[in-house]
Amino acid sequence: MSGLVLALAVNGLVWGLIIALIALGLSIIFGLLDIINVAHGDFFMLGTVVVLVLATSTGSYWLALLLVPVIGLGVGLILERVIIRPTIRQASLTIVTTFGLSMMLQEGVRATYGAQPRRMAAPIEGTIPLFGIDYDVYRIFAAAFATLCLIAFFLFLTRTKLGTWIRAVRHDPETATALGVPVARICAITFGLGTAMALLGGAIAAPITTVEFRTGVDILPFCFMAVIIGGLGNLQGTVAAALLLAVMEGLVTSVTDPTIARIVSLGFMSVVLLVRPHGLFSGATR
Amino acid sequence: MTAVAISRAALILTVAALLAVPTVLPLLGSPFWIDVVAEILIWSLLAASVNLLLGYVGLLSFGQALYFGVGMYGAALSVIHWGAGFWGGLAVGVVAAMIMAAIAGSVAVRLTWHYFAIITVVFSLILYFAAMSAKPITGGDDGISFSVPDVVSLGGLKLSLADQSVQYYTILLVVAGFYGLFSIIVRSPLGVRFMAVRENDRRAALVGINVYVTRYVAFVLAGALAGASGALFAFFGRYASASYMFYHVSGEAVVWAIVGGAGSLLGPLFGTGLLIVFREVISTFWEHYLFVVGAITVLVVMFAPRGLAGAWNDALQVLTRSKDAGTSDTTASSGEQDLAKSTTDATRGGSGA
Repeated sequence: MSGLVLALAVNGLVWGLIIALIALGLSIIFGLLDIINVAHGDFFMLGTVVVLVLATSTGSYWLALLLVPVIGLGVGLILERVIIRPTIRQASLTIVTTFGLSMMLQEGVRATYGAQPRRMAAPIEGTIPLFGIDYDVYRIFAAAFATLCLIAFFLFLTRTKLGTWIRAVRHDPETATALGVPVARICAITFGLGTAMALLGGAIAAPITTVEFRTGVDILPFCFMAVIIGGLGNLQGTVAAALLLAVMEGLVTSVTDPTIARIVSLGFMSVVLLVRPHGLFSGATR
Repeated sequence: MTAVAISRAALILTVAALLAVPTVLPLLGSPFWIDVVAEILIWSLLAASVNLLLGYVGLLSFGQALYFGVGMYGAALSVIHWGAGFWGGLAVGVVAAMIMAAIAGSVAVRLTWHYFAIITVVFSLILYFAAMSAKPITGGDDGISFSVPDVVSLGGLKLSLADQSVQYYTILLVVAGFYGLFSIIVRSPLGVRFMAVRENDRRAALVGINVYVTRYVAFVLAGALAGASGALFAFFGRYASASYMFYHVSGEAVVWAIVGGAGSLLGPLFGTGLLIVFREVISTFWEHYLFVVGAITVLVVMFAPRGLAGAWNDALQVLTRSKDAGTSDTTASSGEQDLAKSTTDATRGGSGA
């Protein structure tokens, strides 16, 4: 029994790491562009679909896993140029723009890829014993890979020129412009990067979830919870909140059903929004 | 003709067209479209509830489907369990939605802008998941169905929703009633306070308007509009389902309101009409019409953020150029022009405080 509880907690941790990656994408887009991207969950969905299609056509999951973030970056850059930049001045309406984008992505995938939910075979088979039950090796790999991506992202933000620019624009766009930082280009790159992270999260998660046009709808509230509880624009907070929430949902699921677990986390999020609107972890607001 | 006269003529024409629907459409060989128009009228009240918040008070709610759902269940459950009639069921639906909005609003309107949009979605998601799991009461995803009571039953006179025309006129009557109330409210001192809060909440507070109470009242009234929409839809479809409480329904209502033009009384009615007619036409030969709806949404925000109402006002100004500068109509439209800008300003001020 306690083995099962532990396994659910580990499951939560694996999901939490993947969600953290996706939610970070949402968080940098919010922090820099000040827009709430309702289509972010659908970028995740796009990642699961693209990796499945690429893996079946090229025969290699690993090649597909490498290609997906590149495709994500391209998609993000194009969408930023075509849809986000022209509407950014209507800041109050960007939620509506991205909602329209979300509809387009979902219906676009349904029209081309089909409405049938599919499952993807795990690229690493086999199980290892963990707390007395057999645990999928792929899930362990997914957790490790997501952790690597998170570390790489934070290193990129703190150790590279581009990353420093992104932080500079986030902190104070006017001063950054005055100092010669190409703010418009940084905004575009940030949106591309955020999109790429959502697609990458989808590519990692594809073998442990179902692949269909609706999965983004489930993932979106979870990402928002992580971003809000962590503090809008507080990147480390987002990661911590994603892990906290996922483990908590895993544990609550072990005693009741998943819907109750979801209600509990949403209630938790409302309390955080009302009592500490800048997130549980004070510090950098945005 | 002045702009006011043209607008008045257009309003009379719209009402006449709506009254003529059940007699004219069967002559054209398409009685099916009577139900489509009825559906447009019902959904337009949900769009109106988004419009009341976004267009008049400057708050973008992404959770109005919650009050729609509460209105729907209020009507359905009161008919099933208490044997309520049409008017009783409608009243229970509206009041239940207002109570729900009064509870959720007391905390939601403390927040503005992004945070307000998020908390409204969160509340609607919590109740959506709760309704989905409370299957014995709500029927969950499948919903619960019921048989509709008579609209009027006085001695020998019995009018039932089973008759398509009766159903249509009943819906038209109720919807028109709510639009009438909406119009009275926005012209009243309360409506002026709404717009003062929308334009600049700090300045509004400085001249003595209680911003919190003003937003709260608007939120509860918007809940009533959404609840009426839901209750009517329950009678129209003869069932209630938790799936209508999902945030996609809220999102569609926002799209209708914006395509129609937030900040104008009847804009959302036309926005809803346009998109539902569009859905009925496109979906007969292409099932992926939502793709086009998404594209329209993006294009409207990009090129015509004031929606159909904005286009209409521009056309009026061209037609009656310089004849009546300074009438109430033109000031209203310039107010709308600044809507997107002022909501941002107000919010930044609010969240920075």
